[in-house]
Amino acid sequence: MISAKRISVRLGRSPILHDVDFAASPGRVTAIAGPNGSGKTTLLRALTGDVPFTGRVEINRRDLASLDAFELASMRAVLPQSANLSFPFTVREIVRLGLVGGRSGAAGGALETIIEEALIRVDLAGFAGRYYQELSGGEQQRVQLARVLCQVWRPVLDGVPRFLFLDEPVSSLDIRHQLVIMNIAREFAEAGGGVVAILHDLNLTAMYADQVAVVHRGRLAAAGEPRTVLTDDLLETVFECRLQVSVAPPSGGMFVLPQSAANSRTT
Amino acid sequence: MSHVQMVANRIGWPMRAANGDRGPLARYVIALLGGALCLVSLFSMAWGASDASLFAVLGDWFMSETDSRLSVHERIIIYEIRLPRTILGILTGAGLAIAGAVLQGLFRNPLADPGIIGVSAGAAFGAVSVIVWGGTVLAPLTYFLGLFALPVAAFAGALTATMVLYGIATRHGRTSVATMLLAGIALGALAAAFTGLMIFMADDRQLRDVTFWSLGSLAGATWSKIGTAGSIILTSLATMPFLARGLNGFALGESTAGHLGLPVQRVKYTAIITATAATGAAVAVSGGIAFVGIVVPHMLRLLIGPDHRYLLPASALLGAIMLLLADAVSRTIVAPAELPIGIVTATVGAPFFLWILLRKRGIVDL
Repeated sequence: MISAKRISVRLGRSPILHDVDFAASPGRVTAIAGPNGSGKTTLLRALTGDVPFTGRVEINRRDLASLDAFELASMRAVLPQSANLSFPFTVREIVRLGLVGGRSGAAGGALETIIEEALIRVDLAGFAGRYYQELSGGEQQRVQLARVLCQVWRPVLDGVPRFLFLDEPVSSLDIRHQLVIMNIAREFAEAGGGVVAILHDLNLTAMYADQVAVVHRGRLAAAGEPRTVLTDDLLETVFECRLQVSVAPPSGGMFVLPQSAANSRTT
Repeated sequence: MSHVQMVANRIGWPMRAANGDRGPLARYVIALLGGALCLVSLFSMAWGASDASLFAVLGDWFMSETDSRLSVHERIIIYEIRLPRTILGILTGAGLAIAGAVLQGLFRNPLADPGIIGVSAGAAFGAVSVIVWGGTVLAPLTYFLGLFALPVAAFAGALTATMVLYGIATRHGRTSVATMLLAGIALGALAAAFTGLMIFMADDRQLRDVTFWSLGSLAGATWSKIGTAGSIILTSLATMPFLARGLNGFALGESTAGHLGLPVQRVKYTAIITATAATGAAVAVSGGIAFVGIVVPHMLRLLIGPDHRYLLPASALLGAIMLLLADAVSRTIVAPAELPIGIVTATVGAPFFLWILLRKRGIVDL
């Protein structure tokens, strides 16, 4: 369980977040949505302890401030929006970094095997020997996800649920891989772990999120199930754009929804 | 199939194995470097203005004094001059290479070298202060620390430069390469100005000491120098296992290193102290020897990859080898005179630095 109460963040002089409450439960995918610059990433960074904040964040009923890096790393893994490298690492070496701290939960001898398995899960089988810098942006993003998965390989360890924090995990992916990645998040939650993901795609949010928190101008605009939160009025207020939920374009206008993919599941 | 090929297949030579695991290759390279260092050390002891054959030197270790083919004169040259010089070369080379590799890991950039970003200049200022002010302003320091005063002052100078540099170049866990290099140049110039001021104030005897020291040479190797510099450099080598894991995590940035469960602040300060202590000790005993810290780790990264668990020990070994070779060149090329070793390393190192810069322009995001 992640619970945050009255989170406020200032960067320099400008206030970024005001009194935001947030909760994410194990077994669920919790999405954070909102327009650019609304404070989504800052909220995530407060939840992971990367920015100083006022208020209180608890992870599995323990105060974030009282946990050291190792304890935190064994309870949650974080996928950043982007990562750049200046040294020529191979894909395997990057994924293996997920195993340096924390506790994967895999048996000692199986550590090299889970690197392979993680790469298979993100659809990068056979990429272990490639140089990270040679890969496309989308492939790099999936390598990072494989690394993050290794860190919390078992979604529940010693009876304690673990969490994945994903900052725009599908931002540079093609539609098939968006579904692959969201399915990984879904499976992680179904296995008892918790997922907190910043998502820009409202269709994917509707499809995969059990809960959604909408952030607008540094405040929480709404939170709850996507069905109740994502209303025409809320979307208009938040995104300043007249959107209509579940309305097909006038006849003849075409649209492609991820929901139509045969291999995905709809809720 | 030839034996070489069998070995090559087993370890996945010539490059990264198909599965991206360069560990076996790296261990093999480290073993080779270890062997090479032993050979180069022996040659370093046999070579010189007065030639003692390699076999005679080797034989001397295994035979009693009376059976040895070495004359008393040769024994003195070898044990009182060349052996300390060789050991000092190994320590200095290893120290400078490790300092380079650690700073590059910390700044996440292959161009961070103690000689380039002002760390060595800071160390030089510390050292020259002790030479010039040792009898007056800094008398308490020389009184309490004795032989350690020079390396400790060099360390303090290097540490100050690195802390200031890190503070300037790193904002919110991100290090700006352009800022790092430019700030390093400015700091280096400032330290050099202070050093110049010291030299300006020095009397004739101090001036001679400073000049000899700053030429950069292993010529003045003595057992007492080895004792002081060696203990500092060996201590910083001992932090390698802890640092290796931490610096690997740093490759993805400070915040990701924290997410991985690494003690970020402790890694950072250990890295800074290790690198500056090694630089300070090396600079204190051998003057300014530049570019070892940049050439060695870069060549190894091309060969075995950037995993610090292998990169750090391999850098120490190759740094020692390179410095012994440079020293061999410096004392034979214009024999019987001696070329300052800093000239040799800079002649090889500066073009190499330019080559990296041109090959990877993207790294310096100016």
